[in-house]
This record gives sequence, C-alpha cells and structure tokens, in this order.
Amino acid sequence: MGAHVALDIGGTFTDLVYFNDSTGELRHAKSSTTPEDFTLGIENCLNKAHVELGACETFVHGATIAINTLIEQTGARTVLVTTAGARDAYLIGRGNRPEAYNVLFKRTTPLVRRGMIVEVNERMTARGEALLPLSEAETAAVCETIAGFEPEAIAVCFLHSYVDPSHEQAMGRALRRAFPKSYVSLSHEILRQYREYERSSTTVVNSYIGPRVSTYLKRLETRLEGRKFPGTLLIMQSNGGVTSVTSASRAPVGLMESGPVGGINASAEIGRRLGFPQVIAFDMGGTTAKASVVRDGQPATAEGYYVGGYASGHPVMLPVVDVVEVGAGGGSIGWIDSVGALKVGPKSAGASPGPVCYCAGGEEPTITDANLALGRLNGENFLGGDMPLDTAAARAALKGKLADKLGLTVEEAALGMLKIAVAHMTLAVRGVSIERGYDPRDFILVASGGNGGLHAPLIARELSIPRVILPVLPAHFSAVGMLMTDIRHDYVQTHARSMAEADFAAIRAICETFVKEGKALLASEGVAPEHQEVRLSLDIRYVGQEFYLNTPVAYDEVVREGRDGIRKHFDALHQRHYGQSAEHRPVEIVNVRANAIGQRAKMEFRSGSVGAAKAVAQHRDVYLSDAKRPTRCAIYQRDALPPGTKVRGPAIIEESASTALLQEGDEATVCPTGEIIISIGGN
Amino acid sequence: MAADPITVEVLRSALPAIADEMSYVLKRTSYNMMIYEVGDYSCAILDKDGNLLAQNGGGVSHFLADMGVVIRDGVQRIKKFEPGDVILMNHQAVCGQHLNNMCVYTPFFWQGELYGFTIIRAHWIDVGGYSTGFGAGMAAADPWLEGLQFNQLKIYKAGQPNEELLAMISDNIRYPESSMGDLDAQITACNLGLKRLEELFQKYGEGTVTECIERIFAQSEAHCRQVISEFADGTYEFETEFDDSAAAQDGPIRIHAKVTVAGSDMTIDLSGCSKQRNSAINSRTLAAPYIAYKALTSPVDPVNEGSFRALKVILPEGNFMMAQFPVPMASWSTALPSVIDAILAAMAPARKSMTPAAHKGAMGDALTFFGNDPRTGKRFVVQSTEGGGWGGRPFEDGPSASCTICQGDVRNGPIESLEQRFPIVVEKRMMRTDSGGAGTFRGGLGLDVQVRNLVTGRWNLTQTGRHRVPPWGLWGGHTGGKPERLVRKPGENDWSPVNANWYQVPPETRAVVRSAGGGGWGDPLEREPMRVIEDIRDGMVSIEAAKSEYGVVAKMSGKRGLEAVELDAEATTRLRQQMRSAHAAE
Repeated sequence: MGAHVALDIGGTFTDLVYFNDSTGELRHAKSSTTPEDFTLGIENCLNKAHVELGACETFVHGATIAINTLIEQTGARTVLVTTAGARDAYLIGRGNRPEAYNVLFKRTTPLVRRGMIVEVNERMTARGEALLPLSEAETAAVCETIAGFEPEAIAVCFLHSYVDPSHEQAMGRALRRAFPKSYVSLSHEILRQYREYERSSTTVVNSYIGPRVSTYLKRLETRLEGRKFPGTLLIMQSNGGVTSVTSASRAPVGLMESGPVGGINASAEIGRRLGFPQVIAFDMGGTTAKASVVRDGQPATAEGYYVGGYASGHPVMLPVVDVVEVGAGGGSIGWIDSVGALKVGPKSAGASPGPVCYCAGGEEPTITDANLALGRLNGENFLGGDMPLDTAAARAALKGKLADKLGLTVEEAALGMLKIAVAHMTLAVRGVSIERGYDPRDFILVASGGNGGLHAPLIARELSIPRVILPVLPAHFSAVGMLMTDIRHDYVQTHARSMAEADFAAIRAICETFVKEGKALLASEGVAPEHQEVRLSLDIRYVGQEFYLNTPVAYDEVVREGRDGIRKHFDALHQRHYGQSAEHRPVEIVNVRANAIGQRAKMEFRSGSVGAAKAVAQHRDVYLSDAKRPTRCAIYQRDALPPGTKVRGPAIIEESASTALLQEGDEATVCPTGEIIISIGGN
Repeated sequence: MAADPITVEVLRSALPAIADEMSYVLKRTSYNMMIYEVGDYSCAILDKDGNLLAQNGGGVSHFLADMGVVIRDGVQRIKKFEPGDVILMNHQAVCGQHLNNMCVYTPFFWQGELYGFTIIRAHWIDVGGYSTGFGAGMAAADPWLEGLQFNQLKIYKAGQPNEELLAMISDNIRYPESSMGDLDAQITACNLGLKRLEELFQKYGEGTVTECIERIFAQSEAHCRQVISEFADGTYEFETEFDDSAAAQDGPIRIHAKVTVAGSDMTIDLSGCSKQRNSAINSRTLAAPYIAYKALTSPVDPVNEGSFRALKVILPEGNFMMAQFPVPMASWSTALPSVIDAILAAMAPARKSMTPAAHKGAMGDALTFFGNDPRTGKRFVVQSTEGGGWGGRPFEDGPSASCTICQGDVRNGPIESLEQRFPIVVEKRMMRTDSGGAGTFRGGLGLDVQVRNLVTGRWNLTQTGRHRVPPWGLWGGHTGGKPERLVRKPGENDWSPVNANWYQVPPETRAVVRSAGGGGWGDPLEREPMRVIEDIRDGMVSIEAAKSEYGVVAKMSGKRGLEAVELDAEATTRLRQQMRSAHAAE
C-alpha cells in the first residue's frame, strides 16, 4: 500500500496520474512534452501535481524515445554481423512491393549500410548441426574488421541461430570483449524464431536504438534519485506489460509501441470490474483512432508488426498489442478530391495549426469543426473554458471549402463528414472484431481520448454493440492504465515438427526453461511467488499452411503429451477465426511460447469520488441525424452527475477535455465508481 | 437512403473491404506458398454482367480486372445458377492464363434474383501434367500436356458437392492435400464475401448500392481522364525485343508499344507486337496495358470497372497476348513486365520526371526444385521467387532485389523456412556487384542465388527473356546486368549455363539463379563522384567498373573501415574529360 505515479509521454503532452491506494487520493497533471530533454517535461508534471517522490512506491513510465529514435533516424552507428552467403538478407528483405502499381515505390530504408555488414564463415543447418564450425581465428578476424568501423552498436544474426545459438554466443562473447563500449545484441536473445530477415531487422532495430534508449533510462533513474525516489521504476512495453529498467535496456525494441497499451489495459480492467470481460478499447485523439480487442480480460496481441507501416516499415517481430489504427481524429480534414468526391482524412490539422475553430491558423474544416457547427461540442466550455472555440469560423470554413462546392448546407456537409469518419472508424473496429471471428454484439466499447465519447456511441450503433463505457479521466486514460498493468516477459522458441512426430520431452524442456527463466526474472523484479504466473502456448497450423494460430496449452497437457486435446483446441480456434476447420488433416507445431506475468496491485477508483446532489441540465440546439432541424438537447456537466443518475438521450455530457453524445434511445447510467455506461438504443 | 455523396464514400471503402477480408481468410487458410507467400491470387466481386465492383489490394498485379471474361462466359453458358453453387474454371479459351490459375466462384442472390458473384482466382501448386510448382513453363507444348482443364464446371450444386468430380481431381494432381485444401480455402473465402454482400445490401438496399457503384465508376473514370489530359497530345512509341525459347525457332519476340494521347483519351496499341508463337509464351490477357495504365493514372487507388473506361486497348486476335486456343500458354505471364516497361518507356518523354529506366522485366528468376525425398518418402517442391533490379529514377537510384511490376506483394521464401521444409542448402543469396546499370542514378542490383540440393531431383532453370537484350537505360543510362542460369554437378569444376525444365540432377548439385539488374537513368559521367565512391565502399560497384563506367578513380587511403577507399578527385576529372571527348568524337 502506498502512492504510485504513472507518467506517459505523448507527442504533444506529458501526462501524470498520481494515486495513493491508502487514502484513495487521485491527482492528475498535463504539461507540454519537451523533446530536447524529456525528463524536463517529467519534472514539470511532478511539480504541477506536487508529487513527493520520496513517499512513492512505484513509478511507471511510458516513453516515446524508442520509436522516435527509429522514425527520426537518430540511432547509433551500427554494424551487422551475418553468416557468409547471407550478407544481404537484411537488405533484400522479402523483395515485395506492396504498392504494386507504383513504379516509384520506396522500400524500407535500412538502418545499416551494406558496407558495414560483415560476413562470418560459419553455418548451422535447420536441424542445428554445425555445417561449418565457427573458429576462434574467424571471430578474431571479424573483430579486427569491425574495429575499423568504430561501431557504437553491433547486431549479430546468424542463420538458424534460433535452433542452436552457440555460434552467435561465441561471436557475442568475442565482440563484447573487443568492444566493451558498444551496444551488442544477439538475435537469439531478442527473438528465437525462424525467418532471417524479420529476425535480423528486429535485432538491428534493437542495436540501433539501444545506446540512446539505455542512456535515457539511466538519466531518468538519476533524476528520480535526485528526488529521493526509493521505489521501483517500471517501463511500459509494446506487449501489454511493464518491465524493469534492466530488461528494458537490454531489449529496448520491446518498448517501441507502448503508446496505446495503457489505455487498452485500463479498458480491460474497467470492463472486468464492471462485469464485462469482452471489451473493445476505442481511443480517438487528434489525428487517429485506434481500436483493440480484449477477450476474457486479455488484450489481444499480434506476433509482430512493421514500424512505419507494412509497405515500407521495419519489421519488429515481438509481441505487440494488436491495434487497428485509422487516420480519423478530431483534426482530420474534410476535403473534396479532384473529381468532386467528399473525403475525410487521413490528412490532419494536428495540434498545430489545429482545427479552424482553434483560431491558430487552421483553414481546412476538421472533424472538430463539424462537431462544433452541429452544436455537439460546446465552444465556450472547451478544456473547461480555457480555450474558447470560434463557431462562426468553423461554419465559414465548412461552407466555403465543402458545402458550397457540393451543393449542400453547412449542416449537411458537417453531418456528411462525421458519417464518413464514423464509417472509417467502424472499419477499424470491425477489423479487430468481425474480421477476427468475434461478434461485436458480445462486446462493450470503452471510449477514451478527447473525441471518444462523441463518436463511440455512433460506431456502437453501426455494429450493434450494446453498450459504451465512458471511463473516469478519459483524456489521461493511458496514464491511468499504467497503474493497472502487470509485469510481462515473452519467450518464443521455434520447434517445427508435425504433431504426430513432435518431441514432447523437448517441448517440455523448453517450457520448463521458460518457466524457470521467467520466474527468476520476475523474482529479480520483486514479484512475490504467489503473484507470478507463466502462460504457455503453441503455434499450430495444418500441415502445408504457413500461418499458424497461437493455441494456449496447460503445462499438464504438455507433460501428458495430450496431442488430441491440443489439436482439438486448435481446430476450434481455426473454426472461430476463419469459419472453417479440417479435423481430418494432420497438424504441426511451429513455435513454443510463454508469457511470464507478474501481477501488480491495480489502482481502484473510490465510490463517491465525484458528485453533487442532483443533476441539473442546461439546454441547447444540436443537430443529430436530421440536418434540416436541430433537436433541443439536455446538456449535463459530468462532475455534477451523482452515482446512480440516469440520463436519457438525446443528451450531451460535458467534462473538461471530453464530450459524450447520446442519441435518441440511448441511456446513460453513472456507476458508483464514476464510469458512465451508455446503453445504445435499438440494441 | 439514396446515393448521396456520403453514402458513395462509405461504399467506396466498404466494397474493397469485403474483397480484402476474403483475401485475409484465403491467405491464412491456404496450403501452398503460391497463395500465402507469393500472393498469386485475386479476390473480386462482380455483377452479373461481369462488371468489376471491387478487387482486393495487394497480391499479384497481373490479375488486374481480368475476371469479367470468366463471369460473362459463365453466365452465357450456365443457364441456371442456384444459391450454394460453386463453379470451377481454368480453361484457356476464355481464361488465357496457365492452367494452375484456378477460378472458383459463387453466385450472389438478392431477394431471389441473381445479382453478381464473388470469385477467387488462385495458383494451385499442381493441376496434373507438367504444371508442378510455378507452372509448366516452356515445357508444355499444348494445354493437354500442361494439366487438367476445367470448363465452367459446378463442383457444388445448390450446396451439394459433386463427390465423383472431386475424387477425379484429387487422383490426377500430385499434391491433392495442398490443392484440395486450397479449394476449401477459396470456397470459404467466397462464401464469406457472399455473407458480407448480403449484410451490405440489407443495410443500404439494392437500389442505393447499384446507384453508388455507378457513381464510383464514373468518379474513377473522371480521375483517370484528368491525369491523362495533363500529358501532351500525340503518339508515343517504343520497341524492344524479348527472347523466346530457342527450341520454338520463332526468333525473338517483338514488343512494340504505341500510345496515343488525345485530350483525356488514351489508346494503347499493341498490334505491333509478335503474333502468337509455337512456345508457351502466349496468353489472352489485357494485364499489360491495364497495369501500365493503372501505373500512369492512379497507382494507389482501389480498382473497379471505371478505372479502365477511358482506356482503349488495341490487341488483335492472334497477337501473342490475344492468342487462340489451343496454343500453349503455360508461360503466359513471363513477358508481360517488359511489355509494361515498353509502354511506360514510350510515355517517358511526356513524363520525364516520373519515369524510371527498365526493371528486370521478366517473370521467372524462381527457384524450383522437386522430387521425392528418399529420407521421408514424401514428394516435395521447393519454390521461391527472387527479386531483381529496378531502373534508376529521375531523382534517385533504383531499388535492388525487388519483384517485377506484375507481382506486387510477392515475398521470397526465407532461407530458414526453405531449409526447414526441403532437402536443400541455400549457400548464397547476395546482390550482384556491378549488375545495376550505370547512370546519373544507378539501376538497382540483381541477385545471385546459389542452392545445393541434398537429394536427387529435378530443377526448373529456364533462362528469362531479358538475356540477349537486358533491361535498358534511359537518357544515356547504361543497361542492367543480364540474367544467368548456371549449374555444377558433383565432380565438375566449372559452372555450365543451363536453360531447361525438368532438369534431372544427382545429389550435391549446385544451381545458380542470377537475376537482371535495373537500367541506369541519365549519363553516368554526370553521377556525383562521391556517390560512386560510396557504392564502392558498399560493394555495389567495383573499383574497375567505377573507372570504366563512371570515369571515377578511387584510391586506397591506408585507413581502416569505410574510408579505406577514397576519391582521387584529380584523376577523376581528367578521366571524365577524356571519356567525354571520346564520346563526342563518336
């Protein structure tokens, strides 16, 4: 029991949430992100919220430094060491051109130039036999060559090292001896899985960002020490968990996509507490909307992704929360293309100049301008009245840029923009649900981000999702989620055999190693044994397929060699994902995986933390589905709605940095812990 | 609800989303690398008149908008469709491609009336005959030698499978566990498409959907017209040659592109190309002019029937790309990338700042090795498709090791994956130094792939058509390195060139596939000398070629690392002056 701090660095703002689980005290703060030295923004937030770190137990941190280092290409001078004959595996990639008809298609920009890729005379086979053993003379010669490049970082990726890493280990020892100041990553330590390009890329990214990220984490530790912080510093990872600074510095590539993770975890936790284990987390900010699915309280993860997009991005094949993102946010611009079709996004006015109504130089009508013109947003009460919005300017832009050209009224054009944006976002939500074999009617939608509450009820209606939850602090939701996140470490090892021929003794040995390593690591991070859990799974496919499904297994099933039972789990998964299964076909195992989880206490909102006695409504005209006639809507202030209050749509609920819209037939109920549950009409 | 601009926009994303979802399911449930790795398939929705409503993004490009003929033929010949029907079709009289490309389609009914179809064309790994792997290639002298022919056959009738037909197929192909699984995957994905269409029609109503589709077609057409109208009116021409199989004794294939721009209309006239041939290079397809037009007008937009309305193609019956059954078509797509490059090169004067030099220009550059593994008793076929160089661009060097313009999101086989599954060792997969055509902006490099087979088996090692005339440069750029096929059997000391299919080899034979490099863009003597030095440092250009092709003299600095090689600026200036005056004298 004690005080906990979550600090989330975003592109524009640095957010802080402080929570004391003895007293229930909750504080939050926002300050501008300081890219020249992120720790300054952190200090600013701590000062603003008057947080005494000397009395805090944990400090959870979400940083963008890993992804920024890659995207801005400000990483280390990196050497790549490969098997002779495979020098170009990293540069050749998969040879594909996802933009098929674009003759000027741009491939991924490599992080290591060809001249700094060094071949080593060694070779393993797919069965782990040393076809060409690695000699000490060879490692010495390689070190000699590399010395000429004065590397800041080195990545090693040998063919088939996922089966037998001994060559990589020998090379690694020699390199670490010869270059004590360089950051060295060995591919099998990062990702013990087949496919040399993807493993090389993941390892190269790790080395490339390693020096900068680990230096940053050290500086952060120093800053916290300066403020007498006695507790544990934890870092958010892409996989949905947190980790220690030591682990994060060793594999910083695992921090790459930690941005949306907090919000997804908070959605999962709030769904669970309110009795809804099946959740779609939906976040809509200024430039994009993100959707992600949580099943039985577990956020869905993908086995990897492409940083910068599939077409030209860098593959990073580490578990990452599965997010579908579309370019639709408050700042998304409405425009007319060259043949007169109305489009919305993906271009965004962003934070600067921002929507027209911000009066900061924006000239193109945005989603926020459309909401304002329709009366859905309150121009006088935006950000608690700190930033009045110019409705007349928004209307003028909608008229001049869109409505007049299309022969529509301002309201018709604004409604049209919202409809198109909602259609795009609906596709994203469909992408994580229907297209993965899940029926959205079994889910609730948790809406966060400044724009979540305005649009989530409309998306829910499109997909027949019965309920939308508006959480407490929707605009600090990511930081809130950091105080609800467990420690997590992932393990994978390729073991490619048919189910019939699979060596279960070997699989068992792999599992036991994972369990042992996982628990030791968790213990070193201060997790008590009763809070440690290791989940095992196998990647399985029908013989002849390439894509496999990650199938959870119990340790007991591995020990019993429960081949039939395991394949039944797989058949059922296949049926659900693709609407088809093939019980008569042989199956094969591809990878063994484990997630080691260290459970942490999660922040709880106290009852009665909000609330006046009785809800009082004001009224204003709002355009709902009819562009010709506005509806007189009741307007409520969220912090004046006591628990138990019911609000019927049409209505609007406003708070400092977020607004929610209830359509005719929707009904909102305020929970004892402050969340609002909206039942969507017609469902 | 009506076809207002907003509903049009919603449907514009909703229809391709259905085709993309079909593609997602097909890829993940398929049983052969031609589908899940190469993406050699396309998923589409057509109305009952054969108009293309939507096609999936990604996948190979040469299936662009080519299902209309299949559907029109089917509707004409199959008088009655019922819900639950599944039709199989690969016949060359209509499909005009190799027989491995199997169309599976299902009818979509709305309120009891036939509205359209969902269809998936996908490459089966074997359809009997010589068809194993990427296809029969030049080995098939006619369609019967190539494999099984299916001519609009219902394999499911009103939901009931035709068990006897299915058994007959299964008995006459080499990898039934693969292809029958792919058939299931195709049917599952087609049915998913039907379900999504039904949901869409329920929501918007048939009238609105149809009206919106027509509006979308019109907008696609208008967009293309706008782009074309920006090019200067006139007639643009380009000609090149492409090697045909020597055995066919027809001589090289003539590729002649004549493009006429008049206002917003474009005509692509390919009647100057060779007539149909004795070899299997023939096809019946508009893929080449369509892909070229798409690249010129709207490379990243979704495709529909409107995308080609403003294009007129002249491709007379009897042309090698409009060949008549029963000429062999097993190598149908090999020459198409060069035809597309020729069309783009013809247009280069009208769009100098956007046109790269020629790319590797031929399908192929594949690894195909097959046989029976004595260690497991199982039949296997190794397949990987290897990239080559793309041409230099008006503003930067061309990409290396990339697949052709006909292939799109086609991925090579990872070495670790190939060696896990098959009895081979990939000894080398490397870029070929000096294979990029020299230029102000250099062409991308081709590849050098060397494989050792551990068991006896057969290789398909067909030379690609750009051997004699390698990828050309533009505006003074040099040609790219030419492709090669080499083999070295155990006990032999030298590599021998080879150009053969079903080429039997003993264990421990080594085969080499070298893909072409891209052509250069602009005069190599205008290339920034330091860029040439950087290329030497990266091993992309040799010191000798730097001198002979670029007039750049390098010297050794005595330093370690990249700076071991430095520019000899004085010697370079002198050499370039000499070379320029020599050129001028020519």
